[in-house]
Amino acid sequence: METGKVVVERVGGKSTVTRCFSKYPLKIIVPNKVGPSQTDAVWIYTITYGGGIVSGDSISCYISVGDSCTAVLTTQSSTKVYKSVGSKCSEQILEATVGQNALLVIIPDPVTCFSTAKYSQMQIFRVFPESSLLIVDWITSGRHERGEKWDFSLYKSINHIFLEGNEPLFLDTILLEQESQGSIAERLQDYQVIAMIVLWGPKLKFIQNQIQEDVKKMMSQQFRIPSINSGHFANTRSDHCSPKPNFIASCSVFGPKGIGLVVRIASMTTESVYSFLRHQLASMEPLVGVSPYC
Amino acid sequence: MNDSCRLWSQWQLLDSILPTGGFAHSYGLEAAMQACLVFGPEDLRKYVVHVLENTGSLLLPFVHAATMSPDMQTWQKIDRMLDATLTNEVSRKASIAQGSALMRVAAAVFSEVPSIKMMRDASLGSSTVSLHHAPIFGLVCGLLGFDGETSQRAYMFITMRDVISAATRLNLVGPLGAAVLQHHVAPIAEDLSKKWMNRDIEEACQTCPLLDTVQGCHGYLFSRLFCS
Repeated sequence: METGKVVVERVGGKSTVTRCFSKYPLKIIVPNKVGPSQTDAVWIYTITYGGGIVSGDSISCYISVGDSCTAVLTTQSSTKVYKSVGSKCSEQILEATVGQNALLVIIPDPVTCFSTAKYSQMQIFRVFPESSLLIVDWITSGRHERGEKWDFSLYKSINHIFLEGNEPLFLDTILLEQESQGSIAERLQDYQVIAMIVLWGPKLKFIQNQIQEDVKKMMSQQFRIPSINSGHFANTRSDHCSPKPNFIASCSVFGPKGIGLVVRIASMTTESVYSFLRHQLASMEPLVGVSPYC
Repeated sequence: MNDSCRLWSQWQLLDSILPTGGFAHSYGLEAAMQACLVFGPEDLRKYVVHVLENTGSLLLPFVHAATMSPDMQTWQKIDRMLDATLTNEVSRKASIAQGSALMRVAAAVFSEVPSIKMMRDASLGSSTVSLHHAPIFGLVCGLLGFDGETSQRAYMFITMRDVISAATRLNLVGPLGAAVLQHHVAPIAEDLSKKWMNRDIEEACQTCPLLDTVQGCHGYLFSRLFCS
């Protein structure tokens, strides 16, 4: 049973919310003064009671963005997933369809799982070759200032994109689970944030090109050119190795003719990811009214 | 084919002399090393374990599915799904390169199993198959008479072999040290194989996102020895 539903359709030449429903533990707010009135975009805020997701909560939301409409889905602050009680898992499901020439922008703040939390998230998108879609999906290590670094029990995030009905276009699942073979912290080393940005469609093509160029430029300086003696285990780290990069990003194209782009990021601070997103997505302002993450 | 002859074919499939091009790939180790994420022998051991963990969770379901039903229809379906699952361009291209090489070699070598050559010929003319490595490996295993569990273990074995081999060529470990490392990691590889064995392809997932991010940087390296 859905706990939320939003339908955006074109009414009188403007993107308009024609249906909106939500029930506990989800609340949906659609303010009409986010951007300048001449921009055709609907902003949808998903809000949870008490600022986060309590153990055992199950939220499921459906969004339909009609042909030629623009919708932005965002949050007011990070999604906190509180400690798991009685090993119950919390889940959040989003299903979205994006029409022809439509644009759906998903720009939440990161998910922050408290220690012992269990959280599973599934987002399914159905698009056309002419739809445009931006997904930002990210997680921090937890309340790391309190020493909770990758201290939750389970985090699972599924992002699937299907093209014209059922053709699998992008199937991504990340699973972080504390294991006997090694903790999550060991696998993520000193990195406190893992982020993914997915861009699809004609309206975002110019941003794709710009991100690919910027990431390549930025990362090319991060790699040490190996010398003849480098790398041998007899040397100590300090002799030959500079510290790890604070911010690692890589871009990959996907889909037919490589028209989709996914950017993956590992970062030591949350702020540097916010600043990357602000910078890279700033040129979306004409599409959605205001610059994301500002 | 009788059982003892089959054994020779099975060994040959897992032998590193089989020219499938696995040694052109470092599984992201070269990028991780240049990013200073892997330095000493302990970092290397952890890296190998993380590669195996990610291989188990992401690819074993595809090996399993292909071994259990080594037919054209299943193969095409899971190849398409894997193409959408390998969202990292570097590893997707590496998978296609290794898969096509394995298919070519297997079709030429294992002539006692004519269906390998038939499936290869049928796939070459069409654009419906990308020739990813894990499904082809599972397919060949299935047709050579491996049982499902052995083929999944074998996939973990060749992955471990190739990443450790890359480590020696990157001068992270000497040849003797590499052999010792391989032997130390084997029980962990066994645990991971058991953990991720016999899963459905819908369950395939990434468990080491950092590794994936770093491997995606391979194309940004100024100088590189490996293709991935």
